[in-house]
Amino acid sequence: MISDLLSMTVLVGILASGIRLATPYLYAAIGETFGQRSGVLNLGVDGQMLMGAFTAFYVAIKTGNLWLGILSAMVVGALMGLAMAFVTVNLHAEQGISGIGFYLFGLGLSDLLFQKLLGTVETVKGFPKIHIPFLSDIPVVGEIFFRQNVLVYIAFALVPVAWFILNKTTLGLKIRAVGENPEAADSLGVSVARIRYFTIILGGTLSGVAGASMSIALVNVFQQNMTSGLGFIAVALVYFGAWRPWGVLAGALLFSLVNSLQLWIQVLGIPIPSDIAVMMPYILTILVLVATVSRVRAPSALTKQFERGD
Amino acid sequence: MKKFRLLVTVLLLLAVLLGACTTQEPAPAVEEPGAEEPAMEETKELFRVAVVMPSSINDLAFSQSMYDALLTIQSEMGGEEAMEIVYSDGMFVVDDAAAAIRDYASEGYNLVIAHGSQYGSSLQEIAPDFPETSFAWGTTVDTFGIDNIFAYEAASDQGGYVNGVLAASLSKTGILGVVGPIETGDAKLYVDGFVAGAKATDPTVQVNVNYIGSFSDVALAAEAANTHIAAGADVLTGTAQMVVGAIGVAEESGALWFGTQASQTELAPSIVVANQVYRWDVVLNEIMDLIGEGTFGGTSFVIDLANGGEVLEFNPDFDIPADVAALAEETIAEISGGAVALQAPKFEDVFQVAVVMPSSINDLAFSQSMYDALVSVQEWMGGEGAMEFVYSDGMFVVDDAAAAIRDYAAEGFDLVIAHGSQYGSSLQEIAPDFPETSFAWGTTVDTFGIGNIFAYEAASHEGGYVNGVIAASLSETGVLGVVGPIETGDAKLYVDGFVAGALATNPDIQVNVNYIGSFSDVALASEAASTHVAAGADGLTGTAQMVVGAIGVAEESGAMWFGTQASQSGLAPANVVANQVYHWDVVLKEVVQMIADGTYGGTSFVIDLANGGEVMDFNADYELPAEVKSLALDTIKGIVDGSITIVFGE
Repeated sequence: MISDLLSMTVLVGILASGIRLATPYLYAAIGETFGQRSGVLNLGVDGQMLMGAFTAFYVAIKTGNLWLGILSAMVVGALMGLAMAFVTVNLHAEQGISGIGFYLFGLGLSDLLFQKLLGTVETVKGFPKIHIPFLSDIPVVGEIFFRQNVLVYIAFALVPVAWFILNKTTLGLKIRAVGENPEAADSLGVSVARIRYFTIILGGTLSGVAGASMSIALVNVFQQNMTSGLGFIAVALVYFGAWRPWGVLAGALLFSLVNSLQLWIQVLGIPIPSDIAVMMPYILTILVLVATVSRVRAPSALTKQFERGD
Repeated sequence: MKKFRLLVTVLLLLAVLLGACTTQEPAPAVEEPGAEEPAMEETKELFRVAVVMPSSINDLAFSQSMYDALLTIQSEMGGEEAMEIVYSDGMFVVDDAAAAIRDYASEGYNLVIAHGSQYGSSLQEIAPDFPETSFAWGTTVDTFGIDNIFAYEAASDQGGYVNGVLAASLSKTGILGVVGPIETGDAKLYVDGFVAGAKATDPTVQVNVNYIGSFSDVALAAEAANTHIAAGADVLTGTAQMVVGAIGVAEESGALWFGTQASQTELAPSIVVANQVYRWDVVLNEIMDLIGEGTFGGTSFVIDLANGGEVLEFNPDFDIPADVAALAEETIAEISGGAVALQAPKFEDVFQVAVVMPSSINDLAFSQSMYDALVSVQEWMGGEGAMEFVYSDGMFVVDDAAAAIRDYAAEGFDLVIAHGSQYGSSLQEIAPDFPETSFAWGTTVDTFGIGNIFAYEAASHEGGYVNGVIAASLSETGVLGVVGPIETGDAKLYVDGFVAGALATNPDIQVNVNYIGSFSDVALASEAASTHVAAGADGLTGTAQMVVGAIGVAEESGAMWFGTQASQSGLAPANVVANQVYHWDVVLKEVVQMIADGTYGGTSFVIDLANGGEVMDFNADYELPAEVKSLALDTIKGIVDGSITIVFGE
């Protein structure tokens, strides 16, 4: 039966599934990467995702316009990011704790709004699968990569964009400087506060899109706590990816592919107990982290407060 | 001339004066020392009764029942010399009725009966003005605390229940129709009792209820009956005076009729099976005895099967099969003996319930099933005035849930429900600290041996089996997919039952099972469903709140969906075939009854197909082929009567 796994249908299924599953992780983790590279840990990602998911869903249902839904999710995510930035940069709150606070806020508010404004679980017509001309006809590869919905494509496109910004632009240089040595950056005229505001708001915006990608593209439904801790995994993936966009992509893909593998294992009746199968992505992630920990280095100022004149 | 005319005038005046004198009522010869003298049996003083009624004395229903009762008592007492009866019927305008009531009271009637719950507020004003008059008011239990008002009510759900049992036993189409007036008072009681009796006899019977919004609109009642017949009903019932319209329609189409309040046999002797006849005289006798002793009010009475105030009268011209008649007698005996509790227990204070749940109350699954049950129980108990409930949902973090449970107990809630097996260890610590609070925990059978914990569970494999049977019968690809949460508890039971049912129907069917490892991860559930579809499944099922993700995939791919815990038909009306719906209220009602009797825990309950705690609900929008539907119904019957044993295999 393990040989079943190697059949073409199954392999294609696993890979296509893995790509889809990776999408929300990518948005959230890329956004978090910016924040963490600038020295800020945001644990509220899951809450931002839930607010983004609800907003996109509600706007899409009420207006029938999916892009308006995405836009609203971005606005909501940005607002939450703004609040987080204020709390972190101006109020110097302990980042881990304030992040959890925002998570709980997003979790509760999204559910409250859902109960008051919608009241019952329903579906929406989300982003449809788009077949990229020519490319989607390539056997195997076409099916896996080029028959997804538009948000999936954008998520993957984000990776090289994020890499470019972080490594090849002045903005990226400033971000990295603020994350490594904010005092030095400050002395050179870089506004630490402004950079951090930017990265945190950007992170919030992308988390909002991550949530929207679930509620109006992948699953097309909103339900209380539908992210189910996904945001926290996304934060972990930033560590896993060594704070580099391509690393984050690798981490998201690894995690999601193993997840989709365990789904197929169960469906094919391969005699691995379901409990073990379900653990696989998490165990693998931990193993890889342990293997690579000595070779990566976090931004030096991560989670440390910065106050001018310290 | 003048003198003559003066003489005539004086004589005339004298004549008039004398005439006036002689027609004067003689003053009471005997002075009664006071109204408390109980020596009434000997004195044959005329007892004068006046009654005000909203409809005609020959309405074959509400008003007739009271008028007939008065006639019965009058003849028992010896006729018109012993008891005088006057009535004002057709008093549907409350102000007219109030005027009549006041007039009767001021004319010195001993007992004035306001036969209609709508007369209550008028009576509340009038009665205190006439402390020497006794008033009786129904149907209600409220005497307003005024000591010259008696209240009387009918436990009409009892006869309704028996009628329902009979109706379900005799129906050939399995569809019953109810024509109700307005959803209130003894009408609602009767209908609810009828539905309960029918369902208890045959869980698959369909009872369509129509409240036409009027007590008197005969034409509308006839139309309602026509609608029922068109929908396939072959047995009808109804209450209030407008039913004569419905009875006519029933007779025309050959449907059977069950009556209440009065005997309606004479209207259609060929189709009326039985009537629950109100014998108000049972109550009136007691009232009149009390008046004789000098008590003019302050008590409320109920007529029921036990005290003979309600009597099931069978139409002698209708042939009931012997076993059905025996079942009816048995049911009457059980109800009279108190074995069947139809009405909610009454508590001194508002009964307060709190529930803690792991997911949202509108998750279309686990938590929603409990929330819906509480709403239903609240209605059963009499609304917010009788029972209040609060909830904390989304408590997937066990410590938060434990804090909530402890808080509720400390705030003095009567019943605290921990709706999630993960709350068990917390509950084990908390319950002993609050011995006066009753706790309920599910899904499990373990009460930890603690005296104030009830446990409840779902035999979800039963509905799972039925779903599996239907799925296997309908599948064209021969592949089915299951999206499960974690391999435990009622989720595992459901999945195992589904697999067993599918294999029993088609041994070659392939059922792929996938436990995604989470109760809430919608995205993963969606992927799992996609995986099943890619593997060829055209029928999917799953349990727990994450299934909404899977249902979306089913809809996209055109696969069938089979639901459990709550009805998921609304989410994908074109794809959902059937749902096993949990009715936790079956358990909650027993728990409330036990708390009323002073037991706060120590028992565990199971909902299943037999006790109506699990109900197979077929999606009306899905065209199920007739032979599959009857296979499903036979399967349900087989599980309920034990002829089908569910065997879990590999």
